[in-house]
Amino acid sequence: MELFSLLLIVPILYLFFILWKWVNDLRDQQCYILDYQCHKPSDDRMVGTEFCGEVIKRNKNLGLNEYKFLLKAIVSSGIGEQTYAPRVMFDGREECPKLEDGISEMEEFFYDSIGKVLSRAGISPQEIDVLVVNVSMLAAVPSLSSRIINHYKMRPDIKSFDLAGMGCSASLISLDIIRNVFKSYKNKFTLLVTSESLSQNWYSGNDRSMILANCLFRSGGCAILLTNNKALKHQAMFKLKCLVRTHHGAKDESYGCCIQKEDDQGRMGFHLSKSLPKAAARCFVDNLKVITPKILPVRELLHFMVVSVVKKWNLRLGSAPEGAPEGPIKAGVKFKSGVDHFCIHTGAKAVIEGIGGSLNLSEYDLEPARMTLHRYGNTSASSLWYVLAYMEAKKRLKKGNRVLMISFGAGFKCNSCVWEVVRDLGDGNVWKDEIDSFPPKSLLNPFMAKYGWIQDEDPTTFKFPDDS
Amino acid sequence: MSPDFSNSVKLKYVKLGYHYLVDHILTLTLVPVMVGIVVEIVRLGPDELLNLWNSVHFDLIQVLCSSFLVIFIATVYFMSKPRCIYLVDYACYKPPVTCRVPFATFMEHSRLILSNNPKSVEFQMRILERSGLGEETCLPPAIHYIPPKPTMEAARGEAEVVIFSAMDSLFEKTGLKPKDIDILIVNCSLFSPTPSLSAMVINKYKLRSNIKSFNLSGMGCSAGLISIDLARDLLQVHPNSNAVVVSTEIITPNYYQGKERAMLLPNCLFRMGGAAILLSNRNSERWRAKYRLVHVVRTHKGADDKAYRCVFEEEDKEGKVGINLSKDLMAIAGEALKSNITTIGPLVLPASEQLLFLLTLIGRKIFNPKWKPYIPDFKMAFEHFCIHAGGRAVIDELQKNLQLSAEHVEASRMTLHKFGNTSSSSLWYEMNYIESKGRMKKGDRIWQIAFGSGFKCNSAVWKCNRTIKTPTGGPWDDCIDRYPVHIPEVVKL
Repeated sequence: MELFSLLLIVPILYLFFILWKWVNDLRDQQCYILDYQCHKPSDDRMVGTEFCGEVIKRNKNLGLNEYKFLLKAIVSSGIGEQTYAPRVMFDGREECPKLEDGISEMEEFFYDSIGKVLSRAGISPQEIDVLVVNVSMLAAVPSLSSRIINHYKMRPDIKSFDLAGMGCSASLISLDIIRNVFKSYKNKFTLLVTSESLSQNWYSGNDRSMILANCLFRSGGCAILLTNNKALKHQAMFKLKCLVRTHHGAKDESYGCCIQKEDDQGRMGFHLSKSLPKAAARCFVDNLKVITPKILPVRELLHFMVVSVVKKWNLRLGSAPEGAPEGPIKAGVKFKSGVDHFCIHTGAKAVIEGIGGSLNLSEYDLEPARMTLHRYGNTSASSLWYVLAYMEAKKRLKKGNRVLMISFGAGFKCNSCVWEVVRDLGDGNVWKDEIDSFPPKSLLNPFMAKYGWIQDEDPTTFKFPDDS
Repeated sequence: MSPDFSNSVKLKYVKLGYHYLVDHILTLTLVPVMVGIVVEIVRLGPDELLNLWNSVHFDLIQVLCSSFLVIFIATVYFMSKPRCIYLVDYACYKPPVTCRVPFATFMEHSRLILSNNPKSVEFQMRILERSGLGEETCLPPAIHYIPPKPTMEAARGEAEVVIFSAMDSLFEKTGLKPKDIDILIVNCSLFSPTPSLSAMVINKYKLRSNIKSFNLSGMGCSAGLISIDLARDLLQVHPNSNAVVVSTEIITPNYYQGKERAMLLPNCLFRMGGAAILLSNRNSERWRAKYRLVHVVRTHKGADDKAYRCVFEEEDKEGKVGINLSKDLMAIAGEALKSNITTIGPLVLPASEQLLFLLTLIGRKIFNPKWKPYIPDFKMAFEHFCIHAGGRAVIDELQKNLQLSAEHVEASRMTLHKFGNTSSSSLWYEMNYIESKGRMKKGDRIWQIAFGSGFKCNSAVWKCNRTIKTPTGGPWDDCIDRYPVHIPEVVKL
């Protein structure tokens, strides 16, 4: 039966072919960043201490107590002199914005960042297969994704998605969509556009929990070009290793800590409650519980397991100190063993310091996030990309390095992901021209010097002097 | 009998014969081969056959290897097939009677609010007369006030009522537990608070913390099918998962309060509604699922400026925000539909239709460009049609373009009459109408078409998994016997 044996070779070869195709398909499912471009608004939109003071004075609803509160908030915010605000602020119209203002704010960012990222990568808009846009506080008809498709004349069979309302962690949610689409389709180019619209969301009342949002959010955005075409692997900058999403909406306290609503006088604003840090910490712990096993090397995981078993043993024997902190955070897990760089959402100085303390990070690790907060403020969903660009400009990203991105959002969500650097990177992106002046010698906020006297004023006799 | 009639009858039989021939061509060519083999075997006789069988030596190893090979290849084949997406069930929101807006109520409101603009009031009346809407459509409570009170709290209230009722109904119908939801997609075009509506759903039903939630916004009336597309992509990647898609449109914040005529049009057409759909790729759902998703095709005409501008949200001269519908809407919808059909045609049409289309295409290109383009007969590919109830003109236009009969578009017209234009959820009301009428049988194919701002045309093709019994527990249950009603061209007000 030699003929039969010979014939057997055919199915065996076919089997190997199927196996090879299967493995090949798995390799096609990787998500690579080809290029990204953060948005640097034009200089006429820069907001310094003087201007901030003017804007605050314009709001007739604020009294001395609010000024004191604002002073404390701004001074300790970590935000510097060169952040950017939407054009409505400069026209004095922040209390009665028009729809056009929100749209034109977005369009300014789109045509700048998307144009740059496409031309640098040499991809024409007609090659884009998937477009995901996330802007939390603006829902327009037609959607922002349709606007981009119209402006760049993209193909009719493009898959577009427009996410809204998902808060400051929305860019990782968009990344989740892209990652899933890449697993089903081959050789696709995706454009991820993330930003926040501030024009229509200025709060004009005097509820303290809502004025805080006015001080922290600034204009910014980022356009990212991704692909799963493995032929472009060598031109790519980053490869996605894993993405973990945690949603604590089930807890009423977490859901209500960061919510858009009307105040007692019916004015719309963004309410940030006092329980926000606690909700964030809880969500962060849950997220870490899932992502830590995925990113740490086995040795470190074993070490952690041994240590926690010993701790439990000690607790049972009653020899451990009372109130020993739980969870992987304080158990002394060395995150640095699995992750080289940390991209922390620049929500506020407290957020950066909180995460730094939990993960035992040094000043070197927190520098990119602090500098981004200082230079660009809290640009909401796109802040992570500014932090990444800072690290790139400082030439810290070498091949094989791993970067952990952590972000928080309304709802309450904590999303994190890990990128692996594919090749040595050194292009500055938005930080190119000024990276050498960072970190600056002093981060002291000039607000204190200029307006510090407010702390000593008496509410009954207070009158804002006209010349300040 | 007149020669024309006999000719047309002969033609009909020729056509039928042609379709049968082309559709079953594989079977028809295989039959002679089979017959040949059978004749050969019979000719050989039983003894010769036995000799043939004995001469083939089967080594144990060879037998094991070949059977292993066959099993292995079969496993790989089955594992690499794309997963089947089942629609287990869906629930539509039925607004309470207290929210009804009969014509008289609507016109009275209009006269009081627009008292300074009698021309605009007359315009609204004319639109309402020809709209195809009935007296039982509903608007949310905040809009019943004079003037309307569109606060964010009222909008959230409407969202809660619509979405939670639909979800509660879905849980009841399917026996789904909130903890079993793995994917949640909510689409609402014009209202996207922070935290999102998906976070609101997660908060109310205490869904799991590792849920994958997405909130799509701004994508118009076709957003329901975009959400289905996203759910499909996610379910291909995550095995054994349940996905809940919630499609709705929140009217409260978007009621136009100015007097520009083109922007008053949506006020007359858009009404309250919502639907919650459960999709799954679990094998256990195969037996009780109602439908199986076959195709989703998306077409985006945004590159064309006219198409892009035909549904546009902007401020009027007084700074009031409203949606401007351009006059070219029908023509653009027709164009977008043609693009969509070009993609979906080859996927669903039987071979015979495709061949005809190809031949006429070749003929037009090579022989004579004056040949009429062949419009494939989609009635051969689908039993039921769910056309988004965008407005009477949309349904008329599609009926003409696709050469559909009155019964095919009955679901769309009746939904427009009873519920108005509920935006992305209208397709589900129409589906429920067909089910309530007892017309949905196993194996039926359904085509859902939706248009949206941008300009998009999206289609979904479903195949019915089991014959659906009435009553279905949907919004049509208590009134299905009254339908279909005759909707006159113009209702005199």
